[in-house]
Amino acid sequence: MQPALKSTYKAPPLLPGWTEHKAPTGHTYYYNVETKESTYKRPVATAAPPTAPAASPASSFWQHQAVPQLNLSDPNVANAFMSQYGQPQHQPGQQRGGHGPGQRGGFQARPKPQPVDKPRSKVAIPGHEPWILVYTKYGRRFAYNSTKNTSYWRIPEKLMPAILELDKARIRQKAEGIESDQVAASEEPSRPAAPEQQQKDYDSSEYEEVEVTDDEDGEREDDGHASKRQRTEDLEDAENNGPVEFTEADIAAQLAAMGADYNEDYEMGEGYDDYGQGEAAAPLSETDARELFKDMLSDFNINPYSPWDILLEQGKIVDDPRYTVLPTTKARKEVWEEWSRVKIQELKELRQKQEKKDPRIAYFAMLQEKATPKLYWAEFKRKFKREDCMKDVKMADKDREKWYREYISRLKLPQSALKSDLKKLLESVPLSQLHNRSSTSSLPPAVLTDLRYWSLDTKSRDEFVEGYIAGLGPPPDSTGQQGQEEDEATAKAKEERRKREKALQDRERAVQEEKHRQEKKLQFERARLREEERELERAMQVSKKGLQSQLAPQDA
Amino acid sequence: MPPIRPSSKRKPPPDGFSDIEEDLLIFSNKMKDAQNAPSDNIPKHQAQWPIFQISHQRSRYIYELYYEKEAISRQLYDWLLKNNYADAALIAKWKKQGYEKLCCLRCIQTKETNFNSTCVCRVPRAQMKGEDREVQCVSCGCRGCASTD
Repeated sequence: MQPALKSTYKAPPLLPGWTEHKAPTGHTYYYNVETKESTYKRPVATAAPPTAPAASPASSFWQHQAVPQLNLSDPNVANAFMSQYGQPQHQPGQQRGGHGPGQRGGFQARPKPQPVDKPRSKVAIPGHEPWILVYTKYGRRFAYNSTKNTSYWRIPEKLMPAILELDKARIRQKAEGIESDQVAASEEPSRPAAPEQQQKDYDSSEYEEVEVTDDEDGEREDDGHASKRQRTEDLEDAENNGPVEFTEADIAAQLAAMGADYNEDYEMGEGYDDYGQGEAAAPLSETDARELFKDMLSDFNINPYSPWDILLEQGKIVDDPRYTVLPTTKARKEVWEEWSRVKIQELKELRQKQEKKDPRIAYFAMLQEKATPKLYWAEFKRKFKREDCMKDVKMADKDREKWYREYISRLKLPQSALKSDLKKLLESVPLSQLHNRSSTSSLPPAVLTDLRYWSLDTKSRDEFVEGYIAGLGPPPDSTGQQGQEEDEATAKAKEERRKREKALQDRERAVQEEKHRQEKKLQFERARLREEERELERAMQVSKKGLQSQLAPQDA
Repeated sequence: MPPIRPSSKRKPPPDGFSDIEEDLLIFSNKMKDAQNAPSDNIPKHQAQWPIFQISHQRSRYIYELYYEKEAISRQLYDWLLKNNYADAALIAKWKKQGYEKLCCLRCIQTKETNFNSTCVCRVPRAQMKGEDREVQCVSCGCRGCASTD
């Protein structure tokens, strides 16, 4: 609406004959219709200095003041500027702050936040070893020198031929997939489409101005479009002049190729092996899999009491290859439940078998080692609060204190008193528990849980106890009786078992005898039958001999 | 209010507590974290979800230890309930048919709800109508606790 105002937002004017375009990669480039030249560098009149302010027009507010001054200072610039009027300006990251109806919010102090672009894929540039061509998420690309650690959006001149070669190769590669002429038809028109649209978008807001100011502008733009359409028809030109466009499919193919590489790398690693084992373990039988899983649980020393969720959170077992022998988490949980149930039962049994050790023994041993009359109970407690016996819930703190005080007071007693006390203690123990066969390492709990035993220092105490034990008599029969009773019980059980076994054998023997007898009987019966049959047969065989013999004498 | 006894003068927990002490500690730490987590950037009704979930997990843990694995003694179980390690009322519901997986007691409360009915998470998944079967209930974030799920 206000041409003068609008003009202030312009970048420095282009030289006549140049037009500005936006490449699909996001760069603006400039094209000269006459010379068919294209460049990334903005061709500005050499006399025009305002490149610097134009490059950093942060706010339209400042531009408003600054640019006209500069323009006014140089009439040439102003003229050139006027000739470029209405020319679209594509400065990435730069808002065309406008008061026009179509562009609200132009008065932003900062440029609008651009979406974050990220490098997506990279290609080494052949022939220029440290240089890498990096493609970004939004399809832009830049050259990166890995040794110098520098990168340029504008691709350096010396790299251009190599990159063009790369691009050509890629297009050819793509053309192999589709029919080559189709590619030419489908790919090329897609190239100018984007810039055209963009330009139109830009132009739409200032369409009036174009009309008002210059006819040239419209023509030039038309020229630019026309020339571009021409260019699209010949591939060579496009490749030589403008940045070549790559479709999404191209990049996708590239990424896929890179992905394949990564996969191969991954395959070589251990992780894949583990995974593969899990998948390939189909022939593993169900029970084997379950056992394997249980083995794993045992190997990791997993607390059978802890819940499944915490187990998974800790993630110790998840990395193990045996974790995957079972296909589903449900199955795993089931096996874990089974395992934990069994394990808890085992633990319970184990604990029952273990004889219960008096917590006092550990505490007294600690007292003997650590307690000194220099420490009050509170100090002692604070100093050794980390010890297991100090944390043991089985003993009350009160008791611990009591024992501590007693022990400290006993430390002050003379050695002889302690010894006599110990002697009294040992004498109080019945002979069944303490006798000449017991050793200092296996004293009865009645002795070990008494402070009188612990208050003497280890060496003299052991000597004293040894001497005392040596003077004792042999264990009375009562202990033997106990043992005998136990033996008897076991013997009885054994006897019973033997009896049972014997009864079983007897029964078997009886059965066999019976069988034998029956067989005998059968045989006997058969024999008898046979004899009878024979007799009958004999009876049937009546010969005349007998009769004749009878008759003959009578006749005679 | 009765005086709070110091830990040194408290009665020791029953046997077997040391086995599960570590896991209970993990739960209590989680609970503390959940209680202290900032709730300004989440919807108001979601602020208590993690607390409900952790409480449910802990109750379930103790319930399973006692009723299914039979790993802890009756004394210890009672002691745990008495000391609020598990929600006894919730466990009481789990013993009833149809409530085996109940997420929280609020979800079976029919009073003062819009339709005088239980929570959406009590509806069996097979009976859910509409496309969005993946719902989280408002009270505790449960995704479905019907016995058939």
